[in-house]
Amino acid sequence: MTTSAAPPRAARAIALYAIAGAGLAVWTFPVVWGLLTSFKTERDVLAYPPVWIFTPTLANYRDVLFGSASIVPNLFSSLVVATLATALTLVFAIPAAYAMARLRFPAKKTTGFYVLATQMLPPVGLIIPYYLVLQKIGGLDTYGGLVVIYLTFSLPFAIWLLVSYFEDVPVEMEEAALLDRAGRVRALWYVILPQVKGGIAVTTIFVFLNAWNEFMFAVVLGGNRVRPVTVAMFNFISVEQTQWARLAAGAMLAMAPVILLGLFAQRHIVKGLTVGAVKGGGRRA
Amino acid sequence: MSTGRGIGGGIGGGIDGLGLDDDDRFPRPLPFADTDVGLAPASATPNPAKVGSASVRIEGVVKRHGATTVLHGVDLQIAPGEFFVLLGPSGSGKTTTLRILAGLEAVSAGRVMMDGTDVTTREPGARDVAMVFQSYALYPHMTVAQNIAFPLRMVGTPREQVARAVESAAARVGIGHLLERTPGQLSGGQQQRVALARAIVRQPRLFLLDEPLSNLDAKLRLETRLELRRLQRSLGVTTVYVTHDQEEAMTLADRIAVFMDGRIVQVGTPRQIFARPLSVDVAAFIGTPPMNLLAGAWEGHAVTVGGSTVAVAAETRTVRDVVVGIRPHDLRLADGGLRARVEGVEELGDSAIVDLVVDERLVKLKTDRPPVLREGEPVFVAFAPEDAHLFDAESGARIA
Repeated sequence: MTTSAAPPRAARAIALYAIAGAGLAVWTFPVVWGLLTSFKTERDVLAYPPVWIFTPTLANYRDVLFGSASIVPNLFSSLVVATLATALTLVFAIPAAYAMARLRFPAKKTTGFYVLATQMLPPVGLIIPYYLVLQKIGGLDTYGGLVVIYLTFSLPFAIWLLVSYFEDVPVEMEEAALLDRAGRVRALWYVILPQVKGGIAVTTIFVFLNAWNEFMFAVVLGGNRVRPVTVAMFNFISVEQTQWARLAAGAMLAMAPVILLGLFAQRHIVKGLTVGAVKGGGRRA
Repeated sequence: MSTGRGIGGGIGGGIDGLGLDDDDRFPRPLPFADTDVGLAPASATPNPAKVGSASVRIEGVVKRHGATTVLHGVDLQIAPGEFFVLLGPSGSGKTTTLRILAGLEAVSAGRVMMDGTDVTTREPGARDVAMVFQSYALYPHMTVAQNIAFPLRMVGTPREQVARAVESAAARVGIGHLLERTPGQLSGGQQQRVALARAIVRQPRLFLLDEPLSNLDAKLRLETRLELRRLQRSLGVTTVYVTHDQEEAMTLADRIAVFMDGRIVQVGTPRQIFARPLSVDVAAFIGTPPMNLLAGAWEGHAVTVGGSTVAVAAETRTVRDVVVGIRPHDLRLADGGLRARVEGVEELGDSAIVDLVVDERLVKLKTDRPPVLREGEPVFVAFAPEDAHLFDAESGARIA
């Protein structure tokens, strides 16, 4: 290229890097701060001005993992709730999305609208009715109760997200499979699903993250038996004192699976977002 | 251009002309068969037994989409082993007819019969038909081998048998070396071959092809067209082929059904349709360039067009308003006949098309010996009396 074109291009690159760097800094600062805090003693945490050079300790992690306030049962609770919610969501959302994308049935448009409409309700408005219903049927502080409540949110979202992926698969491909004697179920299994697996991956991640990060329903509808890690964090905040170092260690542990999952599925997420399927769909993510 | 001369020659004419003789089914190998895009020579794989090639009958098929009627009662009869082309402009109902044969569309009325059995309500997979889609519809996540194997795997064919069949089908269409690739790594022509292989691998009793050549470039289209013909002949499977390209129809078909506005307007061999179009619409659709159509008055053994009177073979006792049709290659420059003005000459190398204005209408004359003409020059054009096609001015139906 010509030399005259070089300076604007270099300037553009620098500007881009600067913006990206600023964004990254804003995002990483709390994480880094939390990570550092998790290795500090309570004394170092409260030191003013903040100390950057300190003797790291694993005591906080030992406490939150094996101490009296261990969050391991809560991590387990979160894992059970999030996994069950995700699995059930997919079991129902995949056939539903396929049907919405492909089949003709009465009131299809209306159904699509109602699916979306449930997403417009503010969750806080539902929490009392949910509480009363679960109380009536003995669903408070149970895995089943919480998972069902999560389904009411994740299912419409997942269906809505998946429909556009199913719609992207050319109809002829399915027709070819039907003519190849696959029948509808095997056509779905062998021909359609492999082509929407990117969408399924994205949906899995969003649904899992939503369930893992959820706090409000968990705190109200959970209890002593079912207490996800987001709620358990509050054990470290009490009227007398806030145990910042332990809180940070717990937060790091709670974040770890989410970050790992994110890294693992990064390729799919980026692809899924660029498909245009998500259009602001990460609302609760 | 190709007129289909000789291709439909040995086949019995008419809708009920179902007899095919063996000479027509097994032509000598085509000379280009081993070019770079060519198929494996016919001798590489033995001809499979032509068992169960289907006869097809469509009776009064109507298709409605809501308030619009796409097909207004279509009747067709296709003989076993026949290469049958559904030809028509877009929106004429030919693809819908094909999809009804495949079972991908339900009929609103009428019946579809295969080998005498009513299959109107049968699922696509239960009809034993294979289809090549315009977009090929290859499964992008499978290799070529897996794509071709799919229809066999779906009916639980043993593994070794599948492998053998896949290899043989791939060799037949010249893609034996591409089996481990995925469709995304193939050119359009190669993808088209994979789609063909996937269709032939299961030896169906009916082949359906929906504009399979329309996504190829012109040169490849020409080559593939003749290979397709050869493949169909060697397999001997009844084939229904949809196209809007009349040249493709002419070169491929044993018989053609011409569709217009959801109706079949003519069925016949390419020769018959070219030589005796039954309506003005068919006349205007078939031929490159299409037939010249002029309004005239027919009286006795002559028609008068724009003040000039010329002889025709047919005779009438009354005076009738007609449309006179003359193929461009049947027109010639002469000393007398229809008065015309030269608009220009299109050189085609081995021939030329002379654009003329006769009675204020553009008329094309095709000649092997390009004349030297000036634009605006007044000339006369003539044609042999038996080359005139006469159509009723009002209904457009053929009179003579």
